[in-house]
Amino acid sequence: MSDALLNVENLKVEYITGDSTTVAAVDNVSFSIKPGESLGLAGESGCGKSTIAYSLMRLHKPPALITNGKIVMNGKDVLNMNKKELQQFRWQETSMVFQSAMNCLNPVVTMEKQFFEIYKYHGVTKNKKEAIKLSEKLLSIVGIPAERLKDYPHQFSGGMRQRAVIAMALALNPKLLILDEPTTALDTVVQRDIIQRIFKLQKEYGFAILFITHDISLMMEFCDSVAVMYAGRIIEQGKSLMMLKEPKHPYTYGLKNSFPSLQGPLSHMEGIKGNPLNLKNIPQGCRFQDRCFRVCDKCRQIEPPKVEHTDGFFYCHDQLAYDKGGKLHE
Amino acid sequence: MKYILKRLSFYIVAFVAAITLNFFLPRFMPGDPVQMFIGDLYQSGGKIDEATIRAVEEMFGYNTDEPLIVTYFKYVGGIFTGDWGLSFKYYPQTVTDAISRGLGWTLFLMGTSLVLGFIINSLLGILVAWRRGGKMDTGVTVTSQILANIPAVVTALILSLSLGHTGLLPTGYAVTPLYFPATQWDYIKDVIYHAILPVSCILITGLGGVMGMRANMINQLGEDYITMGIAKGVPQHKIMIGYSARNALLPVVTSLAMQVGFLLGGSLIIEQVFNYPGLGTVMVNAINGRDYPLMQGILLMSTTLMLTANFLADIAILFLDPRIRRQK
Repeated sequence: MSDALLNVENLKVEYITGDSTTVAAVDNVSFSIKPGESLGLAGESGCGKSTIAYSLMRLHKPPALITNGKIVMNGKDVLNMNKKELQQFRWQETSMVFQSAMNCLNPVVTMEKQFFEIYKYHGVTKNKKEAIKLSEKLLSIVGIPAERLKDYPHQFSGGMRQRAVIAMALALNPKLLILDEPTTALDTVVQRDIIQRIFKLQKEYGFAILFITHDISLMMEFCDSVAVMYAGRIIEQGKSLMMLKEPKHPYTYGLKNSFPSLQGPLSHMEGIKGNPLNLKNIPQGCRFQDRCFRVCDKCRQIEPPKVEHTDGFFYCHDQLAYDKGGKLHE
Repeated sequence: MKYILKRLSFYIVAFVAAITLNFFLPRFMPGDPVQMFIGDLYQSGGKIDEATIRAVEEMFGYNTDEPLIVTYFKYVGGIFTGDWGLSFKYYPQTVTDAISRGLGWTLFLMGTSLVLGFIINSLLGILVAWRRGGKMDTGVTVTSQILANIPAVVTALILSLSLGHTGLLPTGYAVTPLYFPATQWDYIKDVIYHAILPVSCILITGLGGVMGMRANMINQLGEDYITMGIAKGVPQHKIMIGYSARNALLPVVTSLAMQVGFLLGGSLIIEQVFNYPGLGTVMVNAINGRDYPLMQGILLMSTTLMLTANFLADIAILFLDPRIRRQK
């Protein structure tokens, strides 16, 4: 995988809890993204998606600690960067659209100045006029009129703020754009518009995307490949189409079936029974055992090994199989 | 602009309410200045008859035949023309005379400690929040809490006894008595020298502000725009000052104006301990002498000060917070 843009190996992020034990929110996660590729990261709340996103830019705050692993971005080891290198690396190589982009702008500073900061601290230009020109161009890409640059964040609507943050994220032509649930606070119409814009821009500028969301159908529609996380681990990863049609892991299957389809007759939703795993209390064997509809004795004793196939990999003893019509074999 | 007018009209209403209360409250209390004065007069062996009472009433501008409402409007008129009545204790001085003697010193004392306190508390709060959980955080937090919770009297006495009575710093007065400095600069130096103890006493009692600023800072540091700022590659010190402190200061500016009230109350004690010729001393004398006109005058003065300070804070916030600036 030497041609990869981002290479994450055995990443382990632990949170120190009150009683001075640790909880591994991200446990031995490895994945890679090629230049211009888009990878979706799905999973329920608390499974470690955002923790991964923050770790990639080393934005994680105590009590979170990266205790193991390697993050190599564009040939550079992110975890070994000093303060200065890190400051340059952030936003120039990897930028991020945050979960709550609505609150991501400094409320007492004009948009103009917030754009200027990016250019100033990354040595693009010290000239304010030049910076304004550059920012105006960026804003027009996301469909915000140039004169709004003089405004303060509170004068923007939620969707506009989101788009402004996306414009900022693209300011330095990063090689990787992390989208951490970028549209959670917006309605479905605006949500779609924004995601479409981003992926259109991706084609134009050729950056890679790490797209994090719970909305697995949205993700499968837009991303090249999808990784599904459960309890701090990637349990299945593969090409979107495969993941959509024939997921091998029961959890992916359950996630996929938790979303109603817009067309066709209404059908009974299956969902996934039970609650997310308590990371303080990890059972022997498969982490998904208590919630799995195909659990067997083996799952309760032995941790499932990695099974690789042409379109990806998964961790399961009893992979799902489908017949020709795409129906699940019982 | 509309915002300023709106705030201003609010303060005018508050002011009218304050002077109304100020007028009626003492009049509903048993006894009035005239009776007080006559009582004093009687005790000092004066001759009391109908004519004396009339004369005293005339002197204080009280007219029992006049309806209260008429007196009220006369009083309101008097406030604006500078006629606040006669002081009882400082007789024959007028109330305005008695107040203006101390007002300058109190304003100097309050203003200095307000500004210094704001700077010290904010800086400490910012630093401590930035290194939350560190040794400095624990040290400053605990010390400031302990110091701020010692009653002002105790702090003042300890300072006075330890630094004042050892001859390091003056124990009283605002300037050296019977001292005629050669230059203005010498005079200013003398004033500062005398202000050190009272001002530091007010500063110590006001150290609780560190905690407020610290809490604000910590709240702001948890906000998403801070993370975004770091992600954007903004240097640490810019994040600390330009991002979090800038936003954390907004509520502090408002509370600063509120503090003027506490400071007026606090200076009362501190001025007593350090024998400072400010409004506090005048106030204590007024209370001891049951000098109602003077008490009313001081109350009016502090109300005006409070309201002015709040109005100034509103204007300051207008400049600091764009969200209020563009409110339509």
